Amino acid sequence: MITVDNLSKRFVTGSGRQRREVAAVQGLSLVAADGRITGLLGPNGAGKTTTLRIAAGLIEPDAGRVLVDGLEVQREPRKALARMGVLSDARGLYPRLTARENIVYYGRLQGMTEAAAQARVDVLAEMLEMRPLLDRRTEGFSQGERMKTSLARALIHDPPNIVLDEPTNGLDVVATRALREALRRLRDEHGKCIVFSTHIMQEVERLCDRVIVVAGGRKVAEGTVAELLEQTGERDFEEAFVRLAYGPAAMAAQQGAAA
Amino acid sequence: MMSAAWTVFRKELIDALRDRRTLLMVLLSSVAMGPLVLVLISGLVASFEKRAEERVVLVAGLEHAPTLVNHLERQTWTVKAPPADWERQLAARSLGDAVLVVTPGFEAELAAAEAPLVEIVSHTANSRAEASARGVERLLRGFSREQATLRLAWRGVAPALLEPMRVENRDLADSASRSAQLAFIVPYFVLMAVLYGAMNAALDTTAGERERGSLEPLLMNPAERSALVAGKWLAVAAVAMLIAVLSCLSFLPGQWLIRSEALAAMFRFGVGEAAAFVGLLLPLAAALSALLMAIAIRCKTFKEAQANATVVILVVTLLPLVLMFGQEGEKPWHLWLPALAQSTLMARVLKGEGMEPMEVLIPVVVAAAVVVVALGYVSRKLRSAALK
Repeated sequence: MITVDNLSKRFVTGSGRQRREVAAVQGLSLVAADGRITGLLGPNGAGKTTTLRIAAGLIEPDAGRVLVDGLEVQREPRKALARMGVLSDARGLYPRLTARENIVYYGRLQGMTEAAAQARVDVLAEMLEMRPLLDRRTEGFSQGERMKTSLARALIHDPPNIVLDEPTNGLDVVATRALREALRRLRDEHGKCIVFSTHIMQEVERLCDRVIVVAGGRKVAEGTVAELLEQTGERDFEEAFVRLAYGPAAMAAQQGAAA
Repeated sequence: MMSAAWTVFRKELIDALRDRRTLLMVLLSSVAMGPLVLVLISGLVASFEKRAEERVVLVAGLEHAPTLVNHLERQTWTVKAPPADWERQLAARSLGDAVLVVTPGFEAELAAAEAPLVEIVSHTANSRAEASARGVERLLRGFSREQATLRLAWRGVAPALLEPMRVENRDLADSASRSAQLAFIVPYFVLMAVLYGAMNAALDTTAGERERGSLEPLLMNPAERSALVAGKWLAVAAVAMLIAVLSCLSFLPGQWLIRSEALAAMFRFGVGEAAAFVGLLLPLAAALSALLMAIAIRCKTFKEAQANATVVILVVTLLPLVLMFGQEGEKPWHLWLPALAQSTLMARVLKGEGMEPMEVLIPVVVAAAVVVVALGYVSRKLRSAALK
């Protein structure tokens, strides 16, 4: 379970007259339960990536905290990271290593033995349908192959919590479907807590048990897809999202963020 | 902590060693280059030696001067007539010997003590001919002295009167220090090998990792940042040392190819010297690796890092020149500067001179300080570097 509690983060760029402050996240709170897929939906610049980076311990928040299974990320980052698998926006692989070596490297850094990591690679390869890729060097991998490899890398230590930042970016239909299928299996068969950020409506409609709409660093709506449709009185989810993310409440938040 | 550093070390080492194309270039440029230059220089020296051994003097009009030819032949020189177009050949630098020109009246004028004129013809732009002109001049002076001595003896004057003093040359340098003068290229090439060996690996594990976008996911592992940095640094230093060892060893077979006998006798570089070099270079490899990583972690791309690393290359390339051009010999502060300290001490090894324990210790302490400061900086920068 991942709990985000009243999180705030401001970025300062430039200095003197060039100085600009941007409030990326402003008092955001959310709970992502186990056995559920929670979607973080929002337009570009809504603060999704910043929130997920704070959750992964890469950025210190100005205020608030993130708890992973009750462990505070900012206090015990290594314990929290051991219970979390993160597929970040950056998915760089080592081109001179094979897919298997890339994945096992992370397993070893998670403190697994060589044998355990190797065994786990085979399990993941089965689940992500990437067995033929394993012993090829990752140089020249397609986007879909890269995504599978980096997802396997993030899941090598079988973490109870999975965080994905725009995982379908740059993927074709087949690769997207394969990813969706994998996430469903992780939820249903393993009871994982899955959080992913996206700005693609279809993803959310097809996959999410719970949707959190963010805009201007604030949460503007929360619920299942059906609940959000009902709340806005729309039949089309895209229309509902536009009303929520660009509606009066969201606009007020945007104004606050840029100030 | 230790196991994470070990994991990173192993991975980075495998990664660096698989970069075959880069490694090959480094091997070619730094490992093969030194011996190659050594062999070329030895070829040059050998050709000078050969010329000196041949003892040939070219005389135009030698039929006019039997006395002179007789003298030259008694000095075990071979007297030959120059080729027909020798003036043109001298100008074109295809003839490497000065030509002695004798006039038809030489013998008669000599007998009449009328001081016949002989010309040594050379060309200022032809350095080989210029060098041989000095030899010919020496020969002629010998001939003049012989003639003068004979004439004085004829008149009953002791020849010793002509020589109020005797002059002889004595060279204080022993063969080891003569070889060091020539073998400055060995430390120089070995230093370059360490630098280029460290360079690619250091840039790849920092700026390269940023450029690929693999640094951010790496930091999402529950490993200490200092462990990640330590592992990376160990791998870079190991690659640098590997290249350094190969480079030192490459001079061993390189010297068998030396064509000049005298040079081969002077150039003493055995297994012991190679081992001493490796020992001296170890702290330098460690320090340079850390320094290059600290410079590269600030750069977003490999290319940018390469541009920034030029400063290090320049310093490491130029510092040893202080020894070559410095007129004042070794100074105590030389040992406090990395690269300069190593080339100073390597030169001592080649000259067969000893080192005080303190003199070995200073560069090690300096290198350790550089490593600590640079790696601390990399650890601190790692997180902010991952995000941009």
